[in-house]
Amino acid sequence: MRIERDVDEISSAREKDLSEKSFSLVRLQDVTLGYGSTRVVGNVNLAIYSGSLIGLAGPNGSGKTTLFRTILGLLPPLSGTLSRGCPLSRFGYVPQSAALDPQFPLSAAEVVEMGAYGRVRPYQLFSAAERERVKEVLQQIGLPQLGARPFFSLSGGQKQRMLIARALMVNPKIMILDEPLSGVDEESRRSIAELLTKLTRENDLAVFFSSHDLEMVQRVADSIVRIDKGQIWLDERKARLRP
Amino acid sequence: MSTLFEIVSPSYLLFPALVGTLMMGLVCPLIGSYLVLRRTVFLGLTLPEIAAAGVAFTFWLQQLGWLPQIGEGERGIAMIGSLTFTFIGMGLLGYLEQRSKGLAEGRLAAAYAFAGAVTILFMVFNPAGQIEVLNLLKGEVIALSKGELRLLTGVLGLVFVAMLIFRREFLLTSFDRDLAFLLKGRQVIWDVSLYLLAGLVIAFGVIMAGPLLIFGFLVLPALAAKPLVQRMISYLMLSSMLGLVMAFFGFYSSVRLDLPLGPTDVTLGCMLIFLAYGFRRVSPKTFVALTCVCVAIMVSACGTQAPGPSVPDAKTIHADQIWLAKVKNSTALPLLLPSNNPLRSLAEMAGKISPEDYRQSVMDLLRQNLQSELGKKGFQTSLTEEKDARFPPLPSDSTGAARIARDGKLSGIVFVSEIFRWEGETQKYVRALIDFKLIRIDDGAVIWQRRVQGAIPTPSATNLGQASTDAAGKIVRDLFAG
Repeated sequence: MRIERDVDEISSAREKDLSEKSFSLVRLQDVTLGYGSTRVVGNVNLAIYSGSLIGLAGPNGSGKTTLFRTILGLLPPLSGTLSRGCPLSRFGYVPQSAALDPQFPLSAAEVVEMGAYGRVRPYQLFSAAERERVKEVLQQIGLPQLGARPFFSLSGGQKQRMLIARALMVNPKIMILDEPLSGVDEESRRSIAELLTKLTRENDLAVFFSSHDLEMVQRVADSIVRIDKGQIWLDERKARLRP
Repeated sequence: MSTLFEIVSPSYLLFPALVGTLMMGLVCPLIGSYLVLRRTVFLGLTLPEIAAAGVAFTFWLQQLGWLPQIGEGERGIAMIGSLTFTFIGMGLLGYLEQRSKGLAEGRLAAAYAFAGAVTILFMVFNPAGQIEVLNLLKGEVIALSKGELRLLTGVLGLVFVAMLIFRREFLLTSFDRDLAFLLKGRQVIWDVSLYLLAGLVIAFGVIMAGPLLIFGFLVLPALAAKPLVQRMISYLMLSSMLGLVMAFFGFYSSVRLDLPLGPTDVTLGCMLIFLAYGFRRVSPKTFVALTCVCVAIMVSACGTQAPGPSVPDAKTIHADQIWLAKVKNSTALPLLLPSNNPLRSLAEMAGKISPEDYRQSVMDLLRQNLQSELGKKGFQTSLTEEKDARFPPLPSDSTGAARIARDGKLSGIVFVSEIFRWEGETQKYVRALIDFKLIRIDDGAVIWQRRVQGAIPTPSATNLGQASTDAAGKIVRDLFAG
């Protein structure tokens, strides 16, 4: 069933008070996504509020990354209205770790520190407070001992969690994760899923993640948005499962 | 022969060249590290070639009379060409990068080939300036003057400070462009800044050191450092340190062994890469031990080597009177100094007189200086042609020289000199290789000998003839010094 429902419906699935959620972090109204003149997905209506854990499920090439890149301002929408409730610097973005070039000799801590670069001016030194924050987020993702390790020598799951830590360094209001659960073992999937749930519940973050594995998304997300064949809709089954 | 301690002394004539090389060794790898990490190493090869095309182009324009003489010597005009072409080339490559769907490597390779081809064509169009352009493109940093050193210090200092201040922005833009956009806004400004800094280093470096050396400094230390570090900050620091090592030991080897600086430095840089990948396979303890051994070998190889003995006194060798042979020229070049008499030059061009008839040669200069200095040492010198006008220049081979002298009915001791190399293509220095010997005519025994090899700086010379005159004087004075 194709829907053009926005966050009111998504948040109703989470049975939260709409009055508390009147301020959307991201809102897309009748947006068409694409590259240049190529239309990828049309008629997108979506809003994301704090404290929501939303999964975006769809096969490879269906436009998941295009949607994320449009939300992040990396691609302009072909038509429609896109509004954001916070500055882009408060968006925590977790790319697919395979998209990063292993040529760079970076320690895990150096990768995590990058999340704070938006706050540090060019001539400033990295402050002790920021270093402390790096330790905190490493603790938060459960990998405090791996900061000194070369980033690209970590396992797929560890790399993914380090990138989540980097996104947390931004002090985000919303986190957008591109396929965080792909290419990692079952143990890592579980720990990443737990971490995402914890961040949503405890930090009141909005978390929007994608996966081509619908079953996995159903297990983790509170709400599921499906995307395929140029269309996007809310998966009602998941909404019905909500207590 | 220069020693390690001599070249690090500020009073050393080539000290500005050493400082310039060290600065390039320190700063270029910082830029090169990003070229390596961004997988745009080819840019480090193509831009110097484009800069070289700019140098050749501006010389051609000057030859046509469309450009005036700018700045000090030929480097002023070369710098304008180098800077202009580098930035135009970067702009075009950047534009094509944004617009074109072709391979980035393909564009760079085509630009490299095109720049190389037009450099040669511009030189062909400008035969009168070929030597100057070739000298500039060879990039003899050895000829760096103090004024040029100040300019280089300013440019490289600016680049160094900018690389330090904006290190986080350059890293973020290079590593994760999406995050850079979210945190710092439009990342294109950081791309442009990085490439502007690279363009500055390359445009100035090509003039001061030549395309080969600049490419070597940009890329080789960064490649050598890569397998040895696991953190970005360590990578940048080690790249710079290896650049300094490459610059210092390359310069020293070049001066000491009389080798061209560019190829010497680049060879050393490649050796550093092999060593780095070799060391990577060993344990940390073995790594430290091997590094210590390598440093010890390099330092011992740079140990003080005293210059050869000076010409002995007449009393020491118990001979008041010696024969001074004509200086033998084994270079296949006439080694004639430029004429300073316009009427005679016209007569020479008209074929009325032979250049040997009125133009002084390097051999004449050396012999005059030798005769004067031998007199100061207490020798009474006689010229071999005084005995027989047909006496040829004697070779430095003692047996052959003694035999010819005996055939010419000479006896006692003869002073022979043979020039194997004399290159005075620029007024800043002369590259020379000359053997000097005192030979006993009776048995061909060598009483004293000295080989002079290397670049002889001629900082006060204002033309090529003056450079040869100054160099000949310095060489002979050094033979008798001490």
